[in-house]
This record gives sequence, C-alpha cells and structure tokens, in this order.
Amino acid sequence: MTTQTETPPTTTVNNDDLQRLVEFAQLVTSAQDAMSDDIVTRLARVMNEGVTLLDRLTRNEGLMTLLRVLDQPESQRLLVGLAEALRETSRDIATTAPAKGSLIELVRAVFHPGTQEGIRILTFLGQHLNHSLREQHRLGS
Amino acid sequence: MSETKIIDARDTFCPGPLMELIMYMKQASVGDELELLSTDKGSAADIPEWIKKVGHDMVSIEKIEETWHLKVRKAK
Amino acid sequence: MRILVVGGGTAGTIVANNLARRLAAETRSGKVRLTMLSASDRHMYQPGLLYVAFGQMTPDQLYRDQASLLEASIDFHVDPVKQFQLDQHKVVTESGKVHEYDILVIATGSRMVPEETPGLNEGAEFFYTEASAVKMYKRLREFQGGRVAVAVGVPHKCPIAPVEVMFALHDFFKARGIRDKVQLKYYYPIGRIHTIENVAIWAKPEFDRLGIEYETLFNIKEVDAKNKILKSEEGIDVEYDLLVVIPAHRGMEVVERDKLGQGGWIPTNRHSLKMNGHDNVYVVGDTTNLPVSKTGSAAHFQAEVISENIASIIKVGEPVRDYDGKVYCFIEAGHDRATYAMFNYLNPPDLKPPSKPMHWFKVAYNQMYWTSVRGLL
Repeated sequence: MTTQTETPPTTTVNNDDLQRLVEFAQLVTSAQDAMSDDIVTRLARVMNEGVTLLDRLTRNEGLMTLLRVLDQPESQRLLVGLAEALRETSRDIATTAPAKGSLIELVRAVFHPGTQEGIRILTFLGQHLNHSLREQHRLGS
Repeated sequence: MSETKIIDARDTFCPGPLMELIMYMKQASVGDELELLSTDKGSAADIPEWIKKVGHDMVSIEKIEETWHLKVRKAK
Repeated sequence: MRILVVGGGTAGTIVANNLARRLAAETRSGKVRLTMLSASDRHMYQPGLLYVAFGQMTPDQLYRDQASLLEASIDFHVDPVKQFQLDQHKVVTESGKVHEYDILVIATGSRMVPEETPGLNEGAEFFYTEASAVKMYKRLREFQGGRVAVAVGVPHKCPIAPVEVMFALHDFFKARGIRDKVQLKYYYPIGRIHTIENVAIWAKPEFDRLGIEYETLFNIKEVDAKNKILKSEEGIDVEYDLLVVIPAHRGMEVVERDKLGQGGWIPTNRHSLKMNGHDNVYVVGDTTNLPVSKTGSAAHFQAEVISENIASIIKVGEPVRDYDGKVYCFIEAGHDRATYAMFNYLNPPDLKPPSKPMHWFKVAYNQMYWTSVRGLL
C-alpha cells in the first residue's frame, strides 16, 4: 500500500491530432466561404417543400392504408405479377397483328382461355373493390 | 385661462406615454398644463428630456407609489 | 361549434391551420366547423419587402396562394368583414353574407398610414407595401449621393426594421461604391436609438463603426416635399436628398369603425389573449393592444397559444396555456451577418454578436416561413 497519491498519467497532445483539428477547421471555413445566400435559399426551399409533402402524405389515410396493404406478401405477389404482366403484354402487343374487327374474331376471342382468365381476374377485382367501397359507406367514413 | 388636463398613460409601454403627451401637447394651447401619469420608467426619463428639447416647461416630477406624475406646461 | 377566423395573415393562417390539425377528428365528424375570411386570395411574406426594397427579391417571390396554405377542412372565403356585431356573435362581410360564430379569432393586422402626416406620401420612400418597396428600390438605384435621412413613426410593425434598413443602406451604397458620397442619418422618436433597450445598446456602437449618424427624440411632424425638408414636432428642420420613412401604423379601418379599439388596437388580455369583455373572442397578431412588438414571431407564438387553448376548451373544457410575451426577431446586421433578439414579458433580449450562420438561418427561414404558416413548424 502506498501513501503517495497517484500522479495523473501524462497527456500528450499528438501532433497528428492537432493537424487533424486544423484541417477540420479549414474544411468548415472553406464550406462557409463556399456557401452563398442562393445555395441556402435553394436547399431550404427544397427541404421545406419536402417536409410539407411528407406531412401531407403521412396524413393521407388512404395512401397510408395502401402502403400497409402493399407491404403484405400477397400484395407483393400481385405487384410483381402486375409488373411481369406489363412486360409480357408489351411484347405480345408488339408481335400480334392488329384486330380486324369482325364478329368471327370476337367469338374466337370469347372462347380463348386468355380472355376467360382475364374476365375472371377482373371479376375478382370488381367484386372486392365493390365490397370494400360499400363497407366503407356503410361504416360512414 | 389655463387648465390642468390629466393624461392617464399608466400600464402603457414605451413609447406610449411620450406619444400620448405629444398628441395632447399638439391639441393644447400655450399656457395649458398637462399632467401625465405613467408606470413606465423609460418614459419618465424621456419626457423631461423631450420637454427640454422642444422648449416647454417641466413643472414637476413626482413618483407616488408605482406611478410617475409628470406635470408639464406648454410654453410655445 | 363554429370557429371563425378573420384575417389571413401570419396570425390568422397559423391559428386556422393549428386548429384544423388539433381538431381533425372533430372537423371530420362535423362537430366543429372552421371558417376563415380574408381580404386577399394571396398570402404575403412581409419580411421580404425589405429585400424587395434593396433588389434582393422580386415581388412575385413574396406571395403564395392562400388556399394552398390552408388545411382542406378550413372553409376559406375571400370576403373581408365589413362589420363586427360582437354582441350578436356574428360578422357581416363585404358581399353581404352573415357569419355566425361560437368562437371568433380577430387577426386583422395593421397598416401604415403615411397619409396622416402632411407631405409624407409625396416626400418619402417606404417599404411596407409592394408598390412602395419597388419604388424605393428604383430610387435607391438612381441615387448618386447626398443626404439620406431615415425617420421612424410610432407605432409600427417590425420593431427591428429601422435598424436593419440602416445596415442595408450602408451595405447597398458600399456595394455601389458611393458610400463615401452618402451621409446616412437616423432619426428616432424616443430618447435612445431603439425602443428595445438592449437593441439600442447593441446598435449604437454598430452605427458609430459604420459612420451612421443619429438623432433621438425626433418626432415626425410633416414633410415639405417640394423643398425636401423633414420637420419635427421638436421644431427641427432636416434637409434631405432622399428620405426613407417607417410611418406610424393603425389597425384596420373596420376595427376602428366598429369601435373595437382606439387606433385599431383591440384591448386584449396579455395572457389569455381574449378580447377584454368578450369571453368567446380572441385577438392575435398586430391588431392587439399588447405591449409586445408587432411582428410575425409574436403572431406565431400567440397563435400557438390560442389554438391550443381553443382546442383544449373544446376537448376538455379548459384552456391550458398562457402567452408569455415571447418574441423572436432576426436582425440582419449587414455584411452577411445577423443576430437575433429573443424576449418576453419578463426577460429582455440578450444580443449575441452577429455571425454568418445566423444570417443563413434567416435566409433559410425565408423559406421555412411557408412551412410554419402551414402549422408544421
């Protein structure tokens, strides 16, 4: 056991640290010098418009509900499906001759599995959209 | 025949009291006496200076409780 | 519950938007109806007028469409009030419509009245309206040198403006290379160079340093525009080559006409911001008779208190806050440096030395203003 009080460890100021501090101060000064009223004005305007937009979007109940629903896995599949369908459709249109407009072609189209699939998916969409709208009206929103 | 008009500018703030005084001085006749009541410390200092600058008479300044009573006479 | 806000300036817009946000559920369900009446379909950023007078902003940058700043739930009409009938809880507008209210917020603001001083309109430059600010800029540009006098009438809105315009004039003539040909002199009505003591203490050495002369206890009496002489109540004549005046202000005519307050300043309780004698009427912004500076920042802080209180009265039956007199004013001190004065009923401002970052804060605030009147800041 020692009765001497411990001397504090020597603190050395590292020349490297000082150099870094000076460089940092120079950086700040040069940034200050580079700044102009116009830069600040433009930045501030964009930021404020951004804040305003975000505020409006986040308070838009419909949009927020849409985002929540889109987050779900089934919705993700639908979105991916939609994206792929768009791509394939674009290709098919490019490689298919334009319709002639005759009755025979219409009848052929009705019996085409693709048409029936298309009607089926629109039916589902229409049914659910209808149901949701009626529910919302009923609940008085 | 001069009369003393009392201007109650208590609880109004600088430059209120001085402005009130100027307004009433404009309307007063030479020889008229005005007594301004003010709770504003700044005005109590400004008003005697202003009176001196313009050339009117500072009759008296009294502080009764929290209120300054400044009596002035229109000299010209 | 019908809430009517009269006035679409800074105070009125913030009150209306804040109420719309706080009472979103109540407005949706129809329990509360928010209506705003304004004299204009545009909202002006008034501090920008000083920039216009010095060619740093164009007039179009001062305005935004008022409707675009308001929450969707606010029923907004460009139809100013022609008559207040407070004892019957209603107002009549210019178009003849009658709006009944349960709670009224009067935010009609203030206006300069140079016409009350003989010769002032003919002889002086102003920057308190768009037209006068543009005219002043043109005069400043053609000015080749001589005596520039800046005089101040009371009361006026924006207490810092007299000091800021001096610094701006100094910088302007310096940039044009004619500062040595210009004599800048400042005339102020009371016994020091600014009504706020700490601002006067701070500004005096700045004026000395920049070669700006000043005379106190100078009250504008009239202007001899033909001979270019400014005359004071104290009997002093000042010859000038260019005269810039911050004129005395009054509240709106309708406020005076309906005898709501002398000079257009409505007697208002300094803490609750209710109109004296009317429990369901609030007054906010320039048109109060409060001993607070007439500024946008005071309007903002008052508006926050009022909207919080009205909302809480509706929700829980009691107000929750008092206005403490808070004001926050930027001071552009020239040479791209700024400081600020923050004070309230109890504490005077404590001015820091001007700095560049503070100047940029002001420049950024010119944009942030629009976010703040939306009730976002």
